[in-house]
Amino acid sequence: MDDLIKLVRTYRLTAGLAERIRLAEEIFRRIEPDLRVFVFSSVSHDAAKDALQEVLKAVAISLKQFKGDTVKEFWAWCYRIARNKLSDHFRQQYADRMQTMPPEELWQMMETTAQNAPMSPAVRHDLDYAIKLLTAAKPDCSDLLWRHYVIGLDYAEIAEERNLSYDNARMKIGRCLDEAKSLVS
Amino acid sequence: MAELPQKEQLALHEFSVRYRAALAKQHQTPEQSLDTVKDAVREQYEQEQDAKRSPSVEPPTKEKEREPEEPEP
Repeated sequence: MDDLIKLVRTYRLTAGLAERIRLAEEIFRRIEPDLRVFVFSSVSHDAAKDALQEVLKAVAISLKQFKGDTVKEFWAWCYRIARNKLSDHFRQQYADRMQTMPPEELWQMMETTAQNAPMSPAVRHDLDYAIKLLTAAKPDCSDLLWRHYVIGLDYAEIAEERNLSYDNARMKIGRCLDEAKSLVS
Repeated sequence: MAELPQKEQLALHEFSVRYRAALAKQHQTPEQSLDTVKDAVREQYEQEQDAKRSPSVEPPTKEKEREPEEPEP
């Protein structure tokens, strides 16, 4: 069994406050980076810092109510809470994010990573291509590509998010990628 | 992940890795995040304790009414 699920299960059965806090700390050290990417990819960056804290709080408060047994179920549950929180409290900022970040801003973010992971010309070329793919398509397609390839949501998670069947989500993402490729080339 | 041609797969993967790294660098706030989580856990715990301390008052059941009284010493 995945360590994360072991921690969540133990948390559910733990009565003492000190032990719960210790377990929660361990759980959130693991999930915070992915939730951060999800939130910063879902609302405008101005609002994302506050939104992230709201999402973390909502997940922590509900942690004892999680009923699943697998890490996949746990992540789906976390993202569901995050989506609900963002759509309830950050509706306007969510709309803002739907307009994809401009390529210059994405490049600025990429440049900040060069210190720790130098960029060879080949890497720059790849990043340039990726940014073009992500920004060339129509907003809805761009958002789908972003959620699948950058955040890493799988077809099932995107299907749930968009109220689509699994196959529809898969095909839509495929078509969006084809569209982006044709616009870039 | 979808089965992509190698070129797109590599490019989007590289972008995703660096995007995550950039966010981590810009928002190195794990302590703030952990404080939020700890506060939420405490809040939840206190709510549970309050609920235990003040259970809803239920009318006595018939079974309880029928229980024999303890004999007096």
